[in-house]
Amino acid sequence: MDLGVATSEPLTREFLAVVIVGFGNELVPLTSNDGVEPCPKALVPVANRPMIDYVLSWIEQSGVKDVLLICPSIHRPMISHHVHSGLSTLHIDVQTYDESPESNTGTCTLLRHFANRISEDFIVLPCDFIPPPSLSLSTILNKYRTENVSDGSIATTCWFATQQPDKNLLVEDWGSIPPPVPMVWDDSTGTLLQIETAEDLDHNSDEMELRMSLLSQYPRTKLSNKYQDSHVYVCRRSILDLLQEKKHFDSFREEFIPWLCKIQYQRRKREKYGPILNPITNVLTQDVSLKHSTLRTNPKVTTKGVLHQSSDADASSPFDPESTTDSSSLRVGIVLHSTKTGYATRVNNIHSLLDMNRRMLAEATYTLPTDPQSRSLIDPKAQISSDSIIGAFTQVSERTTIKKSVVGKHCTIGKLARVTGCVLLDHCVIEDGAKVDGCILGKNTKVGAKAELTRCVTQAGYEVGPAESLKNEKLDISDWTAAPDESDEDSGEEDEDSEEDEDDSDEDDDEIE
Amino acid sequence: MAPKSNAGKEIGDEAEVLQAVILADSFNKRFRPLTTRKPRCLLPICNAPLLDWTFESLALAGVQEIFVVCRSHPEQIKAKIAESRWSKPGSGIKIVPILTAKETFSPGDAMRDIYTRGLVTGDFVLVMGDLVSNIRIDEVVKVHKERRKTNKDAIMTMVVKESGATHRTRSKADAAVFVLDSESSECLHYQPVMGYPPTKVASVPREILVAHPDVEIRNDFIDCSIDICSVEVPSLFQDNFDYLDIRRDFVHGVLTSDLLMKNIYCYVAKDGYAARVQDTKSYESISKDILSRWAFPLVPDNNHPAGHLYEHRRGNKYIDKDGTVVLARTSTVGNKCLIGSSTEVSDNAQIISSVIGQHCFIGEGAIIDNSYVFSGTTIGPGCVIERSIIGSDVNIKENTHVDKGSLVGDGVVIGPNAHLEAFSRLSKRRERGNTNQEEEEDEYADSEEEEVESAQDSTTINLGDDSNAIVWPPNTSDEDEDEDEDVENNKNQRFMRLGDSASDLAFSDPGSESSDEDSDSSDEDSEFETRLGILPTSSATSLSLDAPDGSSQDAIAEFQNEVRLSLERAFAEGHSVDNASVELKTLRMASNVPLSRVRESVVAAIVDRIQIIEGSGVPQRQEIANVISRWGPLIDKIGGVDAVETISALQAHCASSDRLLLFGQILAALYQDDIVEENDIREWHESPTSQGLGLLPGTRTDNIKKCWEVGSRMIQQFDEQDDDEESGEDEDSDEDSGEDGEEDGEEDDDSEGSEEESD
Repeated sequence: MDLGVATSEPLTREFLAVVIVGFGNELVPLTSNDGVEPCPKALVPVANRPMIDYVLSWIEQSGVKDVLLICPSIHRPMISHHVHSGLSTLHIDVQTYDESPESNTGTCTLLRHFANRISEDFIVLPCDFIPPPSLSLSTILNKYRTENVSDGSIATTCWFATQQPDKNLLVEDWGSIPPPVPMVWDDSTGTLLQIETAEDLDHNSDEMELRMSLLSQYPRTKLSNKYQDSHVYVCRRSILDLLQEKKHFDSFREEFIPWLCKIQYQRRKREKYGPILNPITNVLTQDVSLKHSTLRTNPKVTTKGVLHQSSDADASSPFDPESTTDSSSLRVGIVLHSTKTGYATRVNNIHSLLDMNRRMLAEATYTLPTDPQSRSLIDPKAQISSDSIIGAFTQVSERTTIKKSVVGKHCTIGKLARVTGCVLLDHCVIEDGAKVDGCILGKNTKVGAKAELTRCVTQAGYEVGPAESLKNEKLDISDWTAAPDESDEDSGEEDEDSEEDEDDSDEDDDEIE
Repeated sequence: MAPKSNAGKEIGDEAEVLQAVILADSFNKRFRPLTTRKPRCLLPICNAPLLDWTFESLALAGVQEIFVVCRSHPEQIKAKIAESRWSKPGSGIKIVPILTAKETFSPGDAMRDIYTRGLVTGDFVLVMGDLVSNIRIDEVVKVHKERRKTNKDAIMTMVVKESGATHRTRSKADAAVFVLDSESSECLHYQPVMGYPPTKVASVPREILVAHPDVEIRNDFIDCSIDICSVEVPSLFQDNFDYLDIRRDFVHGVLTSDLLMKNIYCYVAKDGYAARVQDTKSYESISKDILSRWAFPLVPDNNHPAGHLYEHRRGNKYIDKDGTVVLARTSTVGNKCLIGSSTEVSDNAQIISSVIGQHCFIGEGAIIDNSYVFSGTTIGPGCVIERSIIGSDVNIKENTHVDKGSLVGDGVVIGPNAHLEAFSRLSKRRERGNTNQEEEEDEYADSEEEEVESAQDSTTINLGDDSNAIVWPPNTSDEDEDEDEDVENNKNQRFMRLGDSASDLAFSDPGSESSDEDSDSSDEDSEFETRLGILPTSSATSLSLDAPDGSSQDAIAEFQNEVRLSLERAFAEGHSVDNASVELKTLRMASNVPLSRVRESVVAAIVDRIQIIEGSGVPQRQEIANVISRWGPLIDKIGGVDAVETISALQAHCASSDRLLLFGQILAALYQDDIVEENDIREWHESPTSQGLGLLPGTRTDNIKKCWEVGSRMIQQFDEQDDDEESGEDEDSDEDSGEDGEEDGEEDDDSEGSEEESD
């Protein structure tokens, strides 16, 4: 519409993508150190592709060019090398925070710290979100673009439907799955209204409390616990100012967003934080013209308080209607993604990692490599089912069966081995006659001859002795080098409960030393 | 007529008679005084009694047998039913009036009555006698029966109409939030919502998410009170004698019960119209809805329940067709008006969005604005009627002004030149002469009317010379009986009142921060604002909320008691000083008392804590030292340090209790624990109050003086000590302080000694 704006657009970046990479404690032991080398969570592969690639290519597809990648400093060399070695056209700025895994740095803290590097609206992304092809980042951005201009929405979130995994398939020893979070949203306008927080649960464990002001503004809301937050947030720049104001928030997903939803319908919060979110300078340009639009419904109808519905002219009200309402709704938008059109997940626990790999396999079709060098590594007498993925330079010996599995690069699989429903990371060695079923093997894992491994997860560099038989276990190196420590394992499992990327515990370090 | 016969056939095929129960009593008094001589269901809306609209709505749904449960004025209802066109042979409907006892105080009682009489034989439709609806209830019945085939526990289907949160027909005072399963429309939770005290949060039980991961929370339903009930519903009422209201008790009870395991479903009517005339406000909005043809085919020009024939003119004006309406050439009739037969509108009269009954007379230059005038009423020249309901056979003489929200009962005469304030309520004075004839009627007229009548002497409102009216007091008299939790509380009723915007009571998310943001300092402000919002601001509608003036004294006494109890608890349970002080601060906030009072109370409590040990001084001193060192710091923790005040408080308390003798020792102990300093003691000593000046002579004053003397002795010692110090030289400062302590100890001894002397 406005030519002036259009020409100036290339000069200013519209969005900056902020990718937050955590330690990945919830994926322990896969992210435990391999000897002295760290195994960053971002580089844990899903279907032989490091998970961060999914996010980065998602960003790339949406046309956003600039990425601020924040990762722990010890992971920097590996991550930096990885993201800069690809063919990506993104301009990636890798920044680090100096945190050891034991201390916990929330996204809010990180954003506050890097606020000076973010000068425009930004997108907060996790490194572990695997979006389905049917959900593009542009969809979310477009919703934000439209609503930010038309009615002053301040952020857009994305939630996806989860499927409760089959109880029978769950391996309890791998840690529990975080409980679903009930949340309330308005379907017709796509507005996120309330997210249940741990605090709410403490406050009233039997009932969920919804404010009547919410219900009168959005009389027809939906409540569900089927959806999970993707941790993808498109935010207005001024949210950073708000974060500076509210120093006590640490976790973006668990604390800040639930609080942010409330601003729009709670009058006092509106009055207090509205000016921060809506600095006078950047709004009002379209506002004036939109006021004259006949095609739009006036947002005032919805934002107006319950109070002023009465037509009585003499209604003397202690509140000034104009002071509480401005044209911006300050609402938080929501994009819901249902499972029907493609499966989305966050790979933030071992279950979902295995699950996502399996789902990727369902779409894969394995064909023998055409390249003669790789071809020669695979014995013609090996049986590889079509729903498998075999990485490059992997050697598969004769009469070995591989079914429904992802095998990484440079692996060596011996004779008469059976690999079923597994995810093998790079450089794994499976010796002759070993049976591996439903396992995730970390880098450099060695499975001895005739060993049997069922539903286990191994740390990088773990060695399973010949003819050993293990079931339903998380295998850390400490289990055989040092005396096994029960309490350590327990704390590891607890970590799994919290999904926050940045959640960390001291477990890793203790074990490596 | 057409829908009736069709529907009747459909149901007939199923060989089961569709029964309906009408609860023809409102069980509340929202329409008083219009309903003193007439049941509410016979009030006309758009010139036809409400009951007829209800019959019409049910006939539309193909109901074949109707039981009308009536409580007040049953003979009138019976007569009305007898003359109704639906009771004529061939109408296909059987209407049976059921007289229930006068002790039936709630819909729940009525349901129990239905059960004991064994009226219903199958699924039935339960409606209220004030329903206006064009919803095809037979469709709902079908859905209900289908559901019953698969789920025997689906005992009820509630018909709700989708509207909006702020729809004019949706009562703010008596609405509800429904939580429904998104797919099956099963009602999972029901929360009533009130205007005052405002419902702030809707609580959705978490456990419903276990079985129903996707639910909808709806705050946009108009509850039409049309329920399709299975035969076991009345028996459930019978089993649970505490169920009074069908929604608040029965639905809520069934949904929350772990034992019943019954399901209630909702039928969300997307189109069609259904609403209840629950109060004067909905009376107005439903009248307007009918005139605006939302209830089609139930419109005045077609299917008029009372059988009138109206001509529908441009702008939704309805004028009776029989040609008896006389409209003067210079009169104006605005849009959305209904004028009954034989009514005469004189020159220059204006009628704006109003309903005028039959046989009315509107005088010259009268203005009737958004009002509802029942039949046979005369409105004199120059009258102005605004947003009011005028009963039948009322005579309003010339130049009378009726302000908004007024209700004028049947047969009232007012004027000339009277002025009715907004929200006045008038009824006709009863004729005392022929009590015999009225005896029967009296049985149903309740005592309230008599009360009102007896209170008339004091009325000063000018109702005009010929008036026969009595003025009903504003709804404030029985404030004590009214529990605020009840829907019928006075302030909540204001939301139901015609013409009352109740904006001063309106809920605007009060305290939105307070509960969520513990860290924010603005909590108190928001509470204040809430309070402001509740206080009446419009003078016309003011409620007597006068705070009782004498209460502050009581409050302080109560507060002191609270402090004592709280400290007793703290002493007994050994709380830390910090915890105890937090508790006290909260108490202080809650009772809004000055800090000095708190100090007094705390000092008193601590002093009382010290046990009097008879005999020798050493254990007594030990006891004092223990108590003071343990609890003394609390005095300064309650907010602000004012040692002089502490001493005064101590003095005052000791003077009036049996711990007079301990004053000196306690003071010394306080001094030793650095709670009071030497300077404080001197300052206190110099103040006139500490010397008991200006007090009436008496034992207390004597005691105060005694305390003062103890103080003077102490100061004497201080002076001596100072001299000592000055004479003593070159002492290390550390040692100095150490010695100080010792010396203090000595002083204690001394002062104790002096106490014993004075004994």
